[in-house]
Amino acid sequence: MEGWVIAIIKVVFIWAWVLLIATVMTWVERRGAAMMQDRLGPNRAGPFGLFQPLADGIKLFTKEEVLPKKAHKVLWSLGPLLFALPAFSAYAVMPFGDKIVLGGKEIILQVSNVNIGFLYILAIGSLAVYGIVLGGWGSNNKFSILGGLRSTAQLISYEVPLGLALLAIVFVYGTFSLRDIALAQQGTFLGFLPNWGIFKQPLGFILFMVAIYAEANRVPFDLPEAESEIVAGYHTEYGSMELGLYLFGEYVNLVTLSSLIVVLYFGAWHIPYIDVSKFLGPVSWGIVSFLIFYLKVSFFLWLFVWVRWTIPRFRYDQVMGLGWKALIPLALFNLFITALFIQLAA
Amino acid sequence: MAKPVVKKEYTLGERIYLLEILKGMALTWRHFVFNVKASFRPEPHTVPTCWQYPEDRTREISPIFRGLHMLCLDEKGREKCIACGTCAKTCPAHCITVKKGKRKEGEEDKYASKMYCASFDIDLLHCIFCGFCQEACPKEAIVLGREFELAQYTREECHLDKQKLLANYRKAKEEGKLRPPRKAVPVVKPPPKPEAGAPKTTEGKAGKPAVAGKAKKGQVEVKKAAEKAKGAGKAESGD
Repeated sequence: MEGWVIAIIKVVFIWAWVLLIATVMTWVERRGAAMMQDRLGPNRAGPFGLFQPLADGIKLFTKEEVLPKKAHKVLWSLGPLLFALPAFSAYAVMPFGDKIVLGGKEIILQVSNVNIGFLYILAIGSLAVYGIVLGGWGSNNKFSILGGLRSTAQLISYEVPLGLALLAIVFVYGTFSLRDIALAQQGTFLGFLPNWGIFKQPLGFILFMVAIYAEANRVPFDLPEAESEIVAGYHTEYGSMELGLYLFGEYVNLVTLSSLIVVLYFGAWHIPYIDVSKFLGPVSWGIVSFLIFYLKVSFFLWLFVWVRWTIPRFRYDQVMGLGWKALIPLALFNLFITALFIQLAA
Repeated sequence: MAKPVVKKEYTLGERIYLLEILKGMALTWRHFVFNVKASFRPEPHTVPTCWQYPEDRTREISPIFRGLHMLCLDEKGREKCIACGTCAKTCPAHCITVKKGKRKEGEEDKYASKMYCASFDIDLLHCIFCGFCQEACPKEAIVLGREFELAQYTREECHLDKQKLLANYRKAKEEGKLRPPRKAVPVVKPPPKPEAGAPKTTEGKAGKPAVAGKAKKGQVEVKKAAEKAKGAGKAESGD
């Protein structure tokens, strides 16, 4: 097969797969929340209510699009697009399995192995904030603009520790490519620990997790939407599929960020102490590595839901305080320690 | 007065917050596991707080629930209504219309009183189910039952006439859903008004310990202190 045919197949496949996960996630979120709150949740559409996201999708598609009278038309329609697009495009550099050999040709399970892998993800991920801010500004509504403003203020307080935590990872692995980082996590170090990022960067992992929750606008850092304070924040005025794009983009973001956690800190498709690829053929290993990867991802997706229904939202100033006064010093400390260890080991 | 905010001193572990989050997650996990197990149980209502309504109708309806109206018959099967129109006058939504009829010879087994209602109409689309008609009725003829599934496809179906009201009564009687006869409401005597002198003496008592230290400074200050104590006493009772 031609290279570009393979590329297109990979793009379409991973796009559909991420969409599927995001769809199922809406169901998991609602039923999981219900079960944690002693309710049942949506259980009418299909077995266990599994078709609920489908029904929601149809509802959102068939609803009327309402444009507020004083809304800025361009920014209004640009908002959801700018939010959903980065969410999808960030997956372009994400590895989702080892490699598969078809007809003597080796295909790596990654759309494109860019050597600046997660610089790209950071850049694209930060773009999503424009979607929120423009949506909030374009709505011409005080709650929306508050949501947008909160989003920007939140961005500058968590993006720095996020970047610093990732920089420590670069120190450890000496590469920006996500696939190379994933490959480097095979085997063990110090004789007994799996060669995973979390064991090499425990503090960095905690910082990264906190920053990720802020990046995904999830509880406890869901200040831009904050239903109980500013109605729904930046998407107060949106309806129909424009709202759908916002909601969907959020879940796609969750998938991307969970995958990032797994690739950087949880050994991607590796299982500790066992090299599964030795027991399997080239095709079956490709499929198994894909499944292992998404098993890990699904745990982190569940963690997002679990945390959301456990703890309350931070206050606005508390987020700033946490970001500037706790996370950044800790991230710098982590960076320093990492650099010191590498220097001493060399 | 608002309750004074007591700031709790947090330990280092609590201030780091991560451990506390894990504790909270353990709690939600226990709830999650319990409810997932419960939702697979075969009992009619599975999760303790949820009734799966259309399938599971085992939920008890309160005895004072106000549902669909009915016109009651007495124990001899005669209509109780005397067409006095009190219900129609009391109704805040003006949804009841009653027309009078006079009992003729030979109809004694049909109507309980000399007057009866020739027609009795209730517009359910207007009705707010306040139950005033029931309370106003001198003969306990109109009663709000326990039927609550009132959705219909047309406006005409939402209009109750006398035949439907009587049919509602017969249906409720067959299903044993008639409301048990009302108990006499016990008359509660209003609490005796406190005597004018009494509160002052108690306030004086409350004020005394605060005043004791400053007793030398004359009566004016004692009064002020007493007033302060009064304010403090109010604040405490306000909590």
